[in-house]
Amino acid sequence: MTITQASARTSTARAPTPRRRVPLEPYLYLLPHALLFFLFTVYPIGYGLYISLHRWDLLNPVKAFVGSEFYRNLFTPGTPQADFFWKTLWNTTFFTMVSVPLLLFAALGLALLLHRPIFGRIFFRAVFFMPGILTVSVMGILWRWMFDNQIGLVNAAREVLLGAPPIPWLSTEGLAWVPIVIGTVWWTVGFNMTLYLAALGNVPISLYEAASLDGATPWQSFRFITLPLLAPVTLFVFVTTALASFQLFGQSLLITNGGPSRSTQSVIQYITEEGFTNAQYSSAAAMGFVFGLIMLIFTAAQFGLMARDVKGGEG
Amino acid sequence: MTGAAPTTARRVRRRMPRDLPRFVLLCVLALIFLAPVYWMISTSFKTEADAISLPVQWIPTRPTLDNYREVLTSPDGNILRWTGNSLYVALAFTVLHVGLCALTAYPLARMRFPGRNAWFWFILSSLMIPGIVTLIPTYIMMLNFDWINSYHALIWPGLSGVFGVFLLRQFFLGIPRELEEAARLDGANSLQILWRIILPLSVPSLATLAVFAFMGSWNNFLWPLFTVTDVDKMTLPVGITTFSQRYVTEYGKLMAATTLAAVPALIAYLLAQRFLEAGLSTTGLKE
Repeated sequence: MTITQASARTSTARAPTPRRRVPLEPYLYLLPHALLFFLFTVYPIGYGLYISLHRWDLLNPVKAFVGSEFYRNLFTPGTPQADFFWKTLWNTTFFTMVSVPLLLFAALGLALLLHRPIFGRIFFRAVFFMPGILTVSVMGILWRWMFDNQIGLVNAAREVLLGAPPIPWLSTEGLAWVPIVIGTVWWTVGFNMTLYLAALGNVPISLYEAASLDGATPWQSFRFITLPLLAPVTLFVFVTTALASFQLFGQSLLITNGGPSRSTQSVIQYITEEGFTNAQYSSAAAMGFVFGLIMLIFTAAQFGLMARDVKGGEG
Repeated sequence: MTGAAPTTARRVRRRMPRDLPRFVLLCVLALIFLAPVYWMISTSFKTEADAISLPVQWIPTRPTLDNYREVLTSPDGNILRWTGNSLYVALAFTVLHVGLCALTAYPLARMRFPGRNAWFWFILSSLMIPGIVTLIPTYIMMLNFDWINSYHALIWPGLSGVFGVFLLRQFFLGIPRELEEAARLDGANSLQILWRIILPLSVPSLATLAVFAFMGSWNNFLWPLFTVTDVDKMTLPVGITTFSQRYVTEYGKLMAATTLAAVPALIAYLLAQRFLEAGLSTTGLKE
């Protein structure tokens, strides 16, 4: 690099590299990550498709081509794959529908309680955020035990406070969702609360002052100033929380192990069971693609929603 | 809820009584949030008989360290070893990931070359692909590489992630050109510019990325659960799960084990609290 080249560069405004033959340097920087990207992101997608179209048996070196058999299985009622795949997909959807609104409202509520100055604010923020740093296994073991039929704290508290008999939370269909949902809210609400606190901090105070001069009640300021200004962060929280909820795995695995009778098994747990426990790799790969496609459509729809909302907000 | 306090005088007079219910509510919620963690720690110091006795013992009447002693010397698994494994994997991953992302983001943000935008959008589009799609094929690849039960399986596949590239590129774009040009006049090559100018100016975003990479690797559960089945190679989240399967009715020991598993994260959080929450509230929401 000579000085004349460099000074020539400064004179061409906004063009850091002078027009010359294609430089090698940028590509060398990109190379290490690009190799890993092709090996562990691009290639596995094609390889997974290949696996799902063949009968993959680790012990048999010949992987017979079976075409769409494993996909057709998923859409043929009566096969265990079809029954359990759609059942666990519904379980996961149910969990998402229940947990997302809770995680939105609880996070907003906590953020509203904490955003104006109050004694011990930093402490409270830390307390609500802290469970999220625990690994899913600590969280799962803890909540399985909180709702334990015999000696769980929840049943003990019912006994002491209400004199009520213990409820077999973990082994009752329907009720088994309670510890999973409560555990998840406890575990992740702090992240969303932090996002809401950041957004509340950005609302200009002058808006509230103007509103109060006009005689607005606190509820009116909240309804007509705070809520509309929180719309973008709410959409963001909604999208990220919904996507995370569809990835449900560790909570239900560790708290109920998917039971009773698969009523809380998540679709990801079922796919791993089919793949790793039953060694049905091709079938599991096919399920991965079908679930992946559903997620992709869902994600695309939400990104579309976000893009539209951002545009609408600017206009 | 917010605002609507007409004069300063009234605001001051009103603050205490008006804030009191809010404060009490926060205290109740904080107690509810802390109860499970307190219960876990408290039980870890109880004898087995006290752990399951009714009515519940809020404070251990006969506190003991036996649970910790037994868990730490258990032949079924070594918590310290799992912690070491987690630390090694998470540190190696973080260093490699931040380095790779910086190398990739640098030309994407600061150089002009054919295909720059195409490559950026190509790798960025992979964020849309759900991880479940590559789970089985990547697992088969690990089998083929003979990487099952090796740290390689826990480190390398995740390094192809692109969110960090995006994060750093956005930050690098904002660094003023003048600094770079002055360095070029002084004869610096691009690697020197990256090392001496870009990276030092990007410490906040590098630190944010590092914290998230470390946390992501430390808390990773599904992938290590299936790729590492050898007890000595397990990471902490997976190892502690095997403990819970063996000690399912020995609550004192189980809670001592989970308490030990939670301690590194709690310490790290107390040290990095500001970084963590600041990083979270800006990442992803920044324009």
